[in-house]
Amino acid sequence: MSAKEDILSRCRRNAGPEVKRPSLEGLDPLTFADPLEKFKSTSVEMSCRVIDVPEGKNLNDAVKEAFQDAKTICTNIPGIDCATSNPDTVASVTELNHTDVGVVPGMLGVAENGCIWVPQTMKEKAVCFISENLAIVLPRQNVVSNMHEAYRRIEFNDYGYGAFISGPSKTADIAQVLVTGAQAARTLTVFLI
Amino acid sequence: MKIGLFIPCYVDAVYPDVGVACYKLLKHLGLDVIYPMGQTCCGQPMANAGFEKEAVGLAEKFEDMFAGFDYVVAPSVSCVAFMRLNYPRLLKGKHECKAAEKAMDIVEFLHDVVKVKGPLGRFPYKVSLHNSCHGVRELGLSSPSENTGPRFNKIKDLLSLVEGIEVVEPDHADECCGFGGMFSIEETGVSRRMGEKKLQRHIATGASYITGADCSCLMHLAGVGAKDGSKPIGFKHVVEILASGL
Amino acid sequence: MSTSHSNAADKFLKNRKYADWHDDTFWSVRQKRDRMAASLPEWERLRQAAAEIKDHTLSHLGDYLEQFADAAEKNGVKVHWAADADEFNSIVYDILSSHGVQKMVKSKSMLTEECRMNPYLESKGIEIVETDLGERIIQLKGQAPSHIVMPAIHLSHDDVGELFEKELCTEKGNHDPTYLTYQARLSLRDEFLTADAGMTGANFGIAETGDIVVCTNEGNADMSTSCPRLHIAAMGIEKVIPDYDALAVFHRLLARSATGQPTTVFTSHFRKARPGGEMHIVLVDNGRSEWLADSDHRKTLRCMRCGSCMNTCPVYRNSGGYSYSYFIPGPLGVNLGMLRDPKAYSGNISACTLCLSCQSTCPVKIDLGDQIYKWRQKLDSFGTANKEKKLICKGMEVIFDHPAIYNAATGELHLVNHVPDAILNCGLNPWAAGHKMMKFPKKPFHKLIKEVADPDDIKKS
Repeated sequence: MSAKEDILSRCRRNAGPEVKRPSLEGLDPLTFADPLEKFKSTSVEMSCRVIDVPEGKNLNDAVKEAFQDAKTICTNIPGIDCATSNPDTVASVTELNHTDVGVVPGMLGVAENGCIWVPQTMKEKAVCFISENLAIVLPRQNVVSNMHEAYRRIEFNDYGYGAFISGPSKTADIAQVLVTGAQAARTLTVFLI
Repeated sequence: MKIGLFIPCYVDAVYPDVGVACYKLLKHLGLDVIYPMGQTCCGQPMANAGFEKEAVGLAEKFEDMFAGFDYVVAPSVSCVAFMRLNYPRLLKGKHECKAAEKAMDIVEFLHDVVKVKGPLGRFPYKVSLHNSCHGVRELGLSSPSENTGPRFNKIKDLLSLVEGIEVVEPDHADECCGFGGMFSIEETGVSRRMGEKKLQRHIATGASYITGADCSCLMHLAGVGAKDGSKPIGFKHVVEILASGL
Repeated sequence: MSTSHSNAADKFLKNRKYADWHDDTFWSVRQKRDRMAASLPEWERLRQAAAEIKDHTLSHLGDYLEQFADAAEKNGVKVHWAADADEFNSIVYDILSSHGVQKMVKSKSMLTEECRMNPYLESKGIEIVETDLGERIIQLKGQAPSHIVMPAIHLSHDDVGELFEKELCTEKGNHDPTYLTYQARLSLRDEFLTADAGMTGANFGIAETGDIVVCTNEGNADMSTSCPRLHIAAMGIEKVIPDYDALAVFHRLLARSATGQPTTVFTSHFRKARPGGEMHIVLVDNGRSEWLADSDHRKTLRCMRCGSCMNTCPVYRNSGGYSYSYFIPGPLGVNLGMLRDPKAYSGNISACTLCLSCQSTCPVKIDLGDQIYKWRQKLDSFGTANKEKKLICKGMEVIFDHPAIYNAATGELHLVNHVPDAILNCGLNPWAAGHKMMKFPKKPFHKLIKEVADPDDIKKS
């Protein structure tokens, strides 16, 4: 017997009495009257910078304004002309190291914890992590209250990768002192469009 | 309503006044109390140490002694919790088990069955409440600090009926004191350290007494305190306070 | 009387300043967790749902694993099955060697600790670089984790600073955590970019979609899989859950329980290999399918390794991770060690007062304290029960079972009051090691009651 068959047959033999899957109907999870406002306040608590891009304002200008000192900006979002590289066309991930700002699209925000669903929409997803500063562009109407709603709505594309991101990379592994900027982006900016 | 009074071994041997306070308090409330002679131990010390087999004979004895009562009341949360939660399993197929499910700690009995509304004794002191683990998490005498939902504390409710008393809770209000039965002699270092910290937190409230529903925790704290020579503080079981001056 | 745990704990307690810091630090994590729990009115319902979903999944584990593996294979992922630690290690080595891998970066995985993968691969000449900062620190230090979520909690910033001076050539005397974290970041950047493979663990495997879900705060799992082309995910078979509806429940509990955050910074879903790369999943049994058969201890398989049972455990907080002989400490580790090898790990069973705050805190409601009670009942059959303790319990049984002996003994206990302290505290009396001996009253209750009670209220035996 193969290891697979062996393991599966042991699991089945030892499974014990059947347990029905519980219904989540009575769970009654917390929702918010204004998920967008809650999302903004949670994001700030998670050490994010939230920038409301007013209707009619050009995203390119918003990015330039928010990152005035940035020398290298990597994105494949059309219309961001200040970009200096594109994650679809870089020859290798190494080229993305030391990128000042990565700008990527977010699909869905979650009010309860500031998570933003960022599916891979570029050849090198490294841009989401290797950049010193990460910016996520999120349509403001795409905010839900909690993870139950979020997990019913997220979608994958053919890249087959996606992450919820909430705030900048952080660690407290040295003596429990909280430090932002562990292995991934040191700051997170959310552009609400 | 016939009540059997169960005075567990260490209360019998070390804290007889607690037993007397129980008796007096129940009588004061006009209840029909009987103390059957020949009681010893519920078997918890052996069981928690890994020898619950040695508790079966004691469980049978308990059942024979208390089968005819409507309630069995004892001043010790961990003994009551042990009997109520474990006797049915230990006696399964060996002996009828009816008394254990009627066993109640005196706090829950007064609070839930008698529904005492007072007034009770007089105790003009500040007391720091010791919430014993098995009272909190097995008998539900108070809401565990780690759980959400409504906050309640049955010991506090009862103490509020005592004249002149001020009740406070220490920091880490329901953290274990480190007694744990056999734990206190197998893990002396950790047990003592936990006891010292617990005691300091009680003392820091400025209370004159520590009170609780389990003498074993109080015995541990008193022993630790006397050993490390910390500031003296009095120890009273809840019933002693409820019955004081009656 | 002592046990392997109590002896090690005594050493831990000798450094009073650090021991108090350790206790306070984890208590504050517990409090953060409490605040998070209180912020969700549905918290207790979530715990109940999570426990039931896990039990349901475990009762269909074979089916869900098969569904998971099929889904992953449809996504182009290669799925491997390892019956035990040795098989796991050799599967990983085969994948690495067939790709000519010389260096692998990895994110935190308790499973690879369990299988002792790093030393195995290193003995085969493969360099392994841990990329979670805490794991990296203890790897450089040559130590094992002392907590499953905060693995380097036993080291101070000075310890880390001195280590980095030596290993990463940081500035002498600069032990500022922000500076040290930045230096580690720079060093790990090089590792990510020059590694040939990346490994992650798996917080969850989703049966319906074949996703591996990994939760980190540092983003190191994503860095480990965004730079090298080869991704290997190591997953214990109990980590499979049915679908996203289930995942939402666990996701909401995990970080709140673990560190008191509403979420980890990154919740990464790996469904396919990155373009031009390869993704492998190694499903590891290593005892789990046998533990399923043990109705007393099956519930430990619900565990999602949040560590909240350790943070709330007063014994863990006052004895430290290294006082436990199994690589996972605290209530969870006591139980997992016993499942792994009861003869080897019985020395941890004493490390519990049965306060039960662990099971009252556990997000999937594992009855950790109750299970420790059950293990204690079995020690005698493993031959690992303490002889002295057994004798005491036997003795108690004899005394308590015979009221005449009991009455004679308790009636004269007050005589102990006259025994000199030197004898009571001579070391043969284990109670006296931590306590001053109590004063026994003149009369026990069963004598005193005759003086105070109405004779009708006393029933003769």
